[in-house]
Amino acid sequence: MKKYFQPIKRREFIKKGMAGGTVIATAPLWKLFSYSLPAPDINSNPLSDLDKDTLKKLLTIGLQNGGEFAEVYVEYTVQNSIGLDENKIRAASRGVDMGVGIRVVQGEKTGYAHSDDLSLEKLKETARVAGLIASGEIKRESAALKEKDIPDYYLVKTSPDGIIPQDKAKLLWKGNEVARAYDKRINQVGVGFSDINKKIIIANSEGVFVTDHQTISRLMVSASALENGKRSRGYAYKGGTLGYEHYDVQTAEELAKEAGRIAMAMLPAEDAPAGEYPVVLAKGDCGTFFHEAIGHSLEGDGARRKTTCFWDKKGEAIASEIVSLADDGTVPGARGSINVDDEGTPSQKNILIQDGTCTGFLYDKLNAKLMNTKSTGNGRRESYQHYPIPRMTNTYLMAGKDDPEDILKSVKRGIYIARIGGGNVSPTTGRFVFQVPEGYMIEDGKITTPLKGIQLMGNGPDVLMNITMVGPDLEIWGGGTCGKSGQGKPVSDGNPTLKVAKVTIGGAKIQSS
Amino acid sequence: MNYQKIAEHVVQEALKLGVDEAEAYIENNRDFDLRVRNGDVETVKQSTTKGIGLTVYKDKKLGFSYTSDLTDESLDDFIKRTIQLSEVADPKPWNGLPDFGEEAKQTDLDLWDGSISEIESNKKIEIAKEVERIALAYDKRITKSYASSFGDSESETIIVNSKGISRTCQETAVGFGVSVIAGEGNEMQTGGWSSNKRHFRDLENAEDVAKEAGKRTIEKLGAKPVKTTKVPVVFDRYATGAFWYGLLFALDGDSAYKKTTFLTDFLNKPIASELVTVIDNPTLPRHIGSTPFDGEGKITRKNTLIENGILQMFIYDSITARKAGIKVSTMARRRGYKGPASASTLNVIVQKGNTSREKIIQGINEGFYVTGLRGIGTDASTGNYSVGASGFWIKNGEIAFPVDGVTLGGNMAEILKNIESVADDLDLRGTLNSPSFKVSELAVGGKQ
Repeated sequence: MKKYFQPIKRREFIKKGMAGGTVIATAPLWKLFSYSLPAPDINSNPLSDLDKDTLKKLLTIGLQNGGEFAEVYVEYTVQNSIGLDENKIRAASRGVDMGVGIRVVQGEKTGYAHSDDLSLEKLKETARVAGLIASGEIKRESAALKEKDIPDYYLVKTSPDGIIPQDKAKLLWKGNEVARAYDKRINQVGVGFSDINKKIIIANSEGVFVTDHQTISRLMVSASALENGKRSRGYAYKGGTLGYEHYDVQTAEELAKEAGRIAMAMLPAEDAPAGEYPVVLAKGDCGTFFHEAIGHSLEGDGARRKTTCFWDKKGEAIASEIVSLADDGTVPGARGSINVDDEGTPSQKNILIQDGTCTGFLYDKLNAKLMNTKSTGNGRRESYQHYPIPRMTNTYLMAGKDDPEDILKSVKRGIYIARIGGGNVSPTTGRFVFQVPEGYMIEDGKITTPLKGIQLMGNGPDVLMNITMVGPDLEIWGGGTCGKSGQGKPVSDGNPTLKVAKVTIGGAKIQSS
Repeated sequence: MNYQKIAEHVVQEALKLGVDEAEAYIENNRDFDLRVRNGDVETVKQSTTKGIGLTVYKDKKLGFSYTSDLTDESLDDFIKRTIQLSEVADPKPWNGLPDFGEEAKQTDLDLWDGSISEIESNKKIEIAKEVERIALAYDKRITKSYASSFGDSESETIIVNSKGISRTCQETAVGFGVSVIAGEGNEMQTGGWSSNKRHFRDLENAEDVAKEAGKRTIEKLGAKPVKTTKVPVVFDRYATGAFWYGLLFALDGDSAYKKTTFLTDFLNKPIASELVTVIDNPTLPRHIGSTPFDGEGKITRKNTLIENGILQMFIYDSITARKAGIKVSTMARRRGYKGPASASTLNVIVQKGNTSREKIIQGINEGFYVTGLRGIGTDASTGNYSVGASGFWIKNGEIAFPVDGVTLGGNMAEILKNIESVADDLDLRGTLNSPSFKVSELAVGGKQ
């Protein structure tokens, strides 16, 4: 059942085949939205009537109550997935979402309406409803729409939507075979491939007109092991804004071996000790920590409303001097990369913390305007059913100078986190908690016993101050779907090897003190 | 548009194109959401959404698709593609539409409030403004509003299958709430409260909701971690949701079949203290967690999952039940039209005991009263339990000081057996309802 109000809570990688602006200007819009689909082709597309003149008309209707800004967001999304478990292809599935969202802004007020009925009458009504929020004197008209050229950060040659499920199934079978062969104690294997193919048009009353074709794909293998009643699980995946050319049976094989390795490594895991410990985070797969525990507190909506722990900290030291943090939507092929955000602003690399000093926040257009600054290209939305809010893209701790081996050697007794799982944070207090699917004890500078049931917890501002060593080995990798205000959005993150002097570990084992 | 006709048409067309069985599920919703901050309307969102999910079985092979495009031409293509997708799947002998057998008639659970669409926008705005105003005035340490909100929805659900099931349900929901921030600078705490009902006139009044939000925020100020220790722990009724969710994961029927839950071998055996009785009851009139039929179209009923500590049943949908050789499935939930139904509880109620929460706390010399959990923390395969927690420290039977930044750790199998008392404070507010309860001992991880 839907709940309308929940107290603040957050839980908890292509060349696109689109030509430049002139083609967009002359081609009927339905062509922008026709995928190279497996037969039969989509033979009709109701978005075909939405040309620039129509969009401009809708914008002007949106402004008729005196709004300052109007925007139309058109979306057509196809999602495909195919999964294998228990030695069988479970199912292949496909979904189509399309619709139009219209936003009108006046001052701090936003009116939003959306429709999946694309008749002109219904869209005009949608624009009118969105405009009701405004009560201004001046009746503006939309500026003429002009295409914007945008760069391309996706690594897509072959759209995965154009690949028949039978071909994708071959990768799944390979992953299944290799993971099961990895060790006879592996008793369950799951393999899945999924892709999201989204075409968007953004037009606003300032004259912006942008189209983008976003592809996100992922291949994942999970393996469970069982021995003498003890169980463990490992998983591995590859994904990003990547075309199908990035996946083959060898990819499946590598992922299967990695999933198998983790499952077997964690099989003899012991209960994690509860208490405060120094922690070493492995490169690459622990960036979720910086996304959740720090990044959310540096989003511009919270900064404007003064509801995050860093809202008044710009220009101040909020981290130890060796800490620099970036959010960068331009990393080629990364899961969180975008050519433009969902307001049509080109993405960019934003430094949030430089040598320990807070240097800025992530903004969408509305929050930027109210704060007398510019959008940083972080206005993102889940779909046409949502209005944009400031969101991260690819968030990472920047490289430092400490030797990864020295980092490990410096810990007498602590915890080694090979990867961080899911987590959640309150951006107001900065308090977080994370699961750890793969972690170990560190004893006398060496990785020893595997640990289960580790929970990392603490608060973001404290951890930033407690980062005492950072390696040079930055990797931006993987990622997932971040939830905020009921909107899910693909993101990625990264980090070099690093040490946090103390973090609270939740676990079942209580040390006698 | 007559969506039942569309659903029937899609099922018939799929059969004509050669599938053995087909099921169409349609949702049609109207939503309104309003958000107020610092006395002004910040956002108003209005929408209508609809979509269809189609499940087909051909030679025991499954195909599934969804679309929000219900125009005639597109639907033809949609049906053909769904059938094509079924060709890539492997046949499974248990695949197919559910067999419900003899069923009770669909009853009217009074889930529709026709007056909701007639509430004036100004009235909704006034409620959202009022709840914010009172919450901000609750205590001078409350410094900011995060937001207040009001929302309502009308939805229609249709399920039609080729075995003759054709069901529709109309329901409404309405709610409002507020979230505020207390403190400044290095210490800010957030808290909020809300009321969510089927009928507008069942909503709690704005003042009560606002004051509860204020109280829940203020009482957290000054929270700090404690030293790592083992103590009795009381879970507050409103913080127990995440705890029971962890148990429900472990009660998944398919996991029991695959032997991947720590409760695999415990059917009809004790898994919890005899004070623990857990039921799933989606048939309470006007309740927010009620529904006349489940995600597969099955007429809902009350199921007892755990009775006096004895595990009575695992949770199956029709497919996982057939696979495991279980005659009667429990319930299946559908999370919108974009996916098939899967085994789930719908409205969980943990039976109340006969001691007051105050008495339970008074009986504890030193302990932890948990009012917030971060994460679910249960590993269903091992029963390992580890979550972030906040609340209050108990000393000599009294609340001593607020606590945050600690973890709880243990194993579900032991924790369930160590439930020593269950309070009488059950409040049926949501879809997972539990009274407060006390666990005799749990590891609390904090400072060293």
